[in-house]
Amino acid sequence: MSGEGTRQPAAELGLLDATMIGMGAMIGAGIFVLTGLAAEISGPAAVLVFTLNGVVTAFTGLSYAELAAAIPKSGGGYAFVREVFDDVGSFVMGWMLWFAYMIAGGLYALGFAPNFLELLHVYGFVPPPEAVSAIAVPVVPVDIPAAVALAMTAVGLLVLVNAVSTAASGSVETVFTIVKVSILVVFVAFGLLSAGGGGETSFTFQNFDPLFPDAGGAASILPAMGLTFIAFEGYDLITTVTEEVENPRENIPKAIFVSLVATVLVYLAVVTVAVGTLGAEGLAQAGEAGIARAATSFMPTDLPVIRNGGAVIVFGAVFSTITALNAVVIASSRVAFSMGREGQLLPSFGDIHHRYGTPFVAILASAVVMLASVSLPTASAGNMSSLFFLLSFIVVNVSVIRLRRRRPDMARPYEIPYYPIPPLLGIALNTILAGVLVEYLLRTDRLALALSAGWIAVGLVVYYALERYRGRSADADASATRDGAADAPNTDERDG
Amino acid sequence: MAGPLRVLVVGGGRVGSYVAQLLDDRGHDIVVIEQDPDLVDELSDEYVATIIEGDATRPSILEQAGLDRVDVVTALTGNTGTNLAVCLAVSQLAPEVWTVMRTDHAIGDEYHRFVDSVVFPERAGARAAVNSVEHGVRSLEDVTGALEIMEIEVVDGAPVAGRSLTDVTLPRGSLVVSDADGERIAGSETVLEAGRSYVVAAQSDVSDEVLNLMRGGADRSD
Repeated sequence: MSGEGTRQPAAELGLLDATMIGMGAMIGAGIFVLTGLAAEISGPAAVLVFTLNGVVTAFTGLSYAELAAAIPKSGGGYAFVREVFDDVGSFVMGWMLWFAYMIAGGLYALGFAPNFLELLHVYGFVPPPEAVSAIAVPVVPVDIPAAVALAMTAVGLLVLVNAVSTAASGSVETVFTIVKVSILVVFVAFGLLSAGGGGETSFTFQNFDPLFPDAGGAASILPAMGLTFIAFEGYDLITTVTEEVENPRENIPKAIFVSLVATVLVYLAVVTVAVGTLGAEGLAQAGEAGIARAATSFMPTDLPVIRNGGAVIVFGAVFSTITALNAVVIASSRVAFSMGREGQLLPSFGDIHHRYGTPFVAILASAVVMLASVSLPTASAGNMSSLFFLLSFIVVNVSVIRLRRRRPDMARPYEIPYYPIPPLLGIALNTILAGVLVEYLLRTDRLALALSAGWIAVGLVVYYALERYRGRSADADASATRDGAADAPNTDERDG
Repeated sequence: MAGPLRVLVVGGGRVGSYVAQLLDDRGHDIVVIEQDPDLVDELSDEYVATIIEGDATRPSILEQAGLDRVDVVTALTGNTGTNLAVCLAVSQLAPEVWTVMRTDHAIGDEYHRFVDSVVFPERAGARAAVNSVEHGVRSLEDVTGALEIMEIEVVDGAPVAGRSLTDVTLPRGSLVVSDADGERIAGSETVLEAGRSYVVAAQSDVSDEVLNLMRGGADRSD
């Protein structure tokens, strides 16, 4: 695991690989973890929730495509915003995005744990998940719930792997994504085949009636959209590896759109089947393990070797959450690494470790917040991450507009059609969702809101502390030359 | 001034685009200004720099490169007058930016009153030609292709500073050739001391990593 051989991706990433990176992140954990939560708020309309989120995020997708094609920098949203905004603006963007990825990591870890327990349960190793009691920690006199312990272990392991060796190349991600999508296709196929079977969990359209829940009605899909917005975080990961993509100015925009459309279709199919078989209530009750639970109910049980068809889906859930977790460990550390290189975090964040060849400090710092977020309830982690993605997507759309004004002559290999309507719509829709989400959090999850505000506050303190620290050291060696330059015309200075 | 630099390359022709490519390999941020739409397309395909299409002698174009954040401007068009005009404009608009200009003849140091550094690419080209004429002897600057041989000064506080080569994992495709004195071939016991320079060979795809290891970690405020 020296990382020597894997330091550089083996091959250039083609359109397929780039698309799969985006899909891999979007079809990662969200579909398994968030479906139950969406069904809880908006009932069978969860189907609409995911579709509309896909539409909303597509506007920001256009902005990402234009920026990524014109600005050849790996680093995603932060790198683009850094081109456009002054120091505070880009710092806040990076700080928010970093947090969003870290919390998403916590969320995925929290989604991994119950699915993993479900997998063990399917094979009869443990009783049903709700019956697994807390693990008594020998030394510390507290009982940690099994799921939390598992989630923390998962985070710890992946951080360790990423800290001491560089990431797997894009082609591995392609294989992972194909596995995930295939498993979901199997799920959808069996779910639809169960229609008319008459069993308790056969697919039936009665489960969609009424479409909207009694409490809240059609309006309930708005908070559910805000809550699950994070599901479509992921295509922006394509823009964090742009430098490794071949023919990027054509392939990046394509990869963004193809992965978005494909993902929306997959979500639509999976959520339709999940609601159609388990019913919105059943799905909501199963929470993070909703899809897995639905699968266990209608998949055949007398298969050779794997015994239980549901195990395939549960395995898919475990596999997806763990690969998505891996992706955000990388993504979050890359943001911190970029910020360190730009001097917006301590310079050590921007260093590659002398032995492991990884941005070690950036990964460890991300791990701390990720581990802390595992102690949050799943809903709170999802809420915070969604909120920060919504906010950062607003900034990305604003960046496109500002960049068009400031650099009218910049070469834009991909231009947003019908500019400026899409970015303006992106700003408006993301703002509405963020507003609805904040309002919803005020009523139901003040903890998430307080922590989010706290993170921004801490960020500003960090920013101004760094500013002072830099100012002092810069003064020390630059004051002499700067004074000279201020008094005399610059040509004098260059005389010598 | 360690860490990534923001470099404005004026002129995206053969010299300019090659310079942009090499700087990108070393991990710097590049903005190119180029007038010719065809060259702009070619440069976009290479995907190493943000490109502004227009005449760099016009301040409205020049300013789109974000001069307040640029560290170095290299004027590399084939026209010495244009290059001088750009450097002069930059030194008016942003006096602290380091300026590099290309000339088309060997002119000694007469431009040094106006620009910080002058390069004459034809001299390097001539050297390359001489190297090919005279088999068996080549000047090192001219070893191009995927390999770069650089003399790198280890910065105080860099990740590898003060460590011996045994403790350091350099990326595959890189090699420390000489020790600090330049008198011995580096061995596993060679210590990379801050403030000393080492001859390093690196393939271009890892040169930014090598530079990060040897020059990262210092105070990056300019």
